[in-house]
Amino acid sequence: MSKDSQMRAAINQKLIEMGERDRLKELLRAKLVECGWKDQLKAHCKDVIREKGLEHITVEDLVAEITPKGRALVPDSVKKELLQRIKTFLAQHSTL
Amino acid sequence: MSPAGCAHVNAYKVDNWRQNLRVIYQCFVWSGSAETRRRKVLQNDVRWTALAKSCICHMCGAHLNRLHSCLSCVFFGCFTKKHIHEHAKNKRHNLAIDLLYGGIYCFVCQDYIYDKEMEQIAKEEQRKAWKLQGVGEKYSTWEPTKRELELLRHNPKRRKITTNCTIGLRGLINLGNTCFMNCIVQALTHTPLLRDFFLSDRHKCEMQSNSCLVCEMSQLFQEFYSGHRWPHIPFRLLHLVWTHARHLAGYEQQDAHEFLIAALDVLHRHCKGDTTRDDNGKKANNPNHCSCIIDQIFTGGLQSDVTCQVCHGVSTTIDPFWDISLDLPGSSTPFWPLSPGGDGSTVNGESHLSGATTLTDCLRRFTRPEHLGSSAKIKCGGCHSYQESTKQLTMKKLPIVACFHLKRFEHSAKLRRKITTYVSFPLELDMTPFIASSKESRMNGQYQQTVEVLNNDNKYSLFNSPRSLSVCCGGVGILCLTLHGLCLCVSCGGADIICLTVCVLWWSRYSLFNCLCVVVEQVFSV
Repeated sequence: MSKDSQMRAAINQKLIEMGERDRLKELLRAKLVECGWKDQLKAHCKDVIREKGLEHITVEDLVAEITPKGRALVPDSVKKELLQRIKTFLAQHSTL
Repeated sequence: MSPAGCAHVNAYKVDNWRQNLRVIYQCFVWSGSAETRRRKVLQNDVRWTALAKSCICHMCGAHLNRLHSCLSCVFFGCFTKKHIHEHAKNKRHNLAIDLLYGGIYCFVCQDYIYDKEMEQIAKEEQRKAWKLQGVGEKYSTWEPTKRELELLRHNPKRRKITTNCTIGLRGLINLGNTCFMNCIVQALTHTPLLRDFFLSDRHKCEMQSNSCLVCEMSQLFQEFYSGHRWPHIPFRLLHLVWTHARHLAGYEQQDAHEFLIAALDVLHRHCKGDTTRDDNGKKANNPNHCSCIIDQIFTGGLQSDVTCQVCHGVSTTIDPFWDISLDLPGSSTPFWPLSPGGDGSTVNGESHLSGATTLTDCLRRFTRPEHLGSSAKIKCGGCHSYQESTKQLTMKKLPIVACFHLKRFEHSAKLRRKITTYVSFPLELDMTPFIASSKESRMNGQYQQTVEVLNNDNKYSLFNSPRSLSVCCGGVGILCLTLHGLCLCVSCGGADIICLTVCVLWWSRYSLFNCLCVVVEQVFSV
């Protein structure tokens, strides 16, 4: 495992332990609903299903289709805010 | 993708599979924190203990990449990197569970499968976990029962809701100075929680006679959502209100706020099927024991703290309330002097530049400590004597729908007049400064930091997608306009508009809670 992914794993562990990960998840969930991201992706999903046909669609197809779009559609403000939260958290609890 | 699952699932359903599956859901899917996970695992199965510490892929140690857990043995693997696929092939363990969402994947069918029994277990465990975490019930989509499916099949007619349809909007005819009633009725029919309660048939009537106001409300909702465009004549509603609230009977113009309280009271009583009043005729308003829909939505708790000036002992009482009556400047009682730029004056984004009174000002005045004066000494429990004291009101419990009543009518010995001071109200109202715990922390000298409120528990906001105006004209009587989120009730005397009663309803767009209702009662003459 590279140093980078080691770091990631350690941070993730810390976030989970302090319950911060769940809080961040809830925050993100609320933000994404608020800015309409969830609705946009839902609509996109429906389009994909309509194209491929209900009988032939698999979860993999959907994942492949919407993952890049979903990533692209997240507004910068949301990304910034979450990043800020994580930074603050690490600053407060850093033993890393 | 049928709910019967796939054939390979049946191979899994042997021995104690249910318990094993539950353990997996409890420990790895729906578990809250590492601590609960550790605890759960120790409770359940020693085999899992070694791996309880963290959920990472056994092959690469990553925690992202759609981690899946093998159902037949203790193995976690990435889905994206196909580590779990390798494991499945090598060990011939066909099933794995997605640790993020709890879906069951079958490697032979190469898709997620939906087995009814497994779904049932998943749902139950999820509910349990939510309860443990203190989250309560989260929203889950409606799944029809067999009976409901039958009903749907036998009644194939469907009503489609498009973006600009006006369903749920309907005018009300004025039955003779009943604009105050119409206005409140419009506000109530637009309260989402109340609407949902009635449209899902939640009222089971236990009253013997057919004078149940709740049934009538239910009927009213049916009328509003019937799709009819001509105005509705609420004569039965009016009659029932007159029957149950005698003081409102007659053709005199009444106070909208008074009607609101009377209506809530009658609805509350009828919800419990209780047609008898207390011995002294007091309203049976006991929020500790009542769980009727009215109390759930409208009841808040008002805390009154009386502090003795001598021993500083505080005596606290908490009273239930359905509305907050706010004094206005311009009345004969002195108003709290505004201090623009003072503490928290930019709360709720209002500025005092224009000098206008805001709703927050009124609330601040309402919750300020009031010196009771030497003529109103209270017997202090600590000093055992009559002492001067200060009294302060704060919100102990915020209702889901907050009703503010601006006291525009002033009654004194000499006169009865209407205060026409302009009061502005904000698009978003944060009640945090006015709740009891805020006051306590202020008193303890804690600096009120701006807390990032993740849970918007104390925030009320304006519904921000107004729908089109629906105008229904009813003869020589009333025009009732409803803008979704704003309700205007206009009385026409002939062709001139002679009175405009405004009742504003707000609610937050994405959380169905926290609505605000302001009864303003401006009277304009044209």
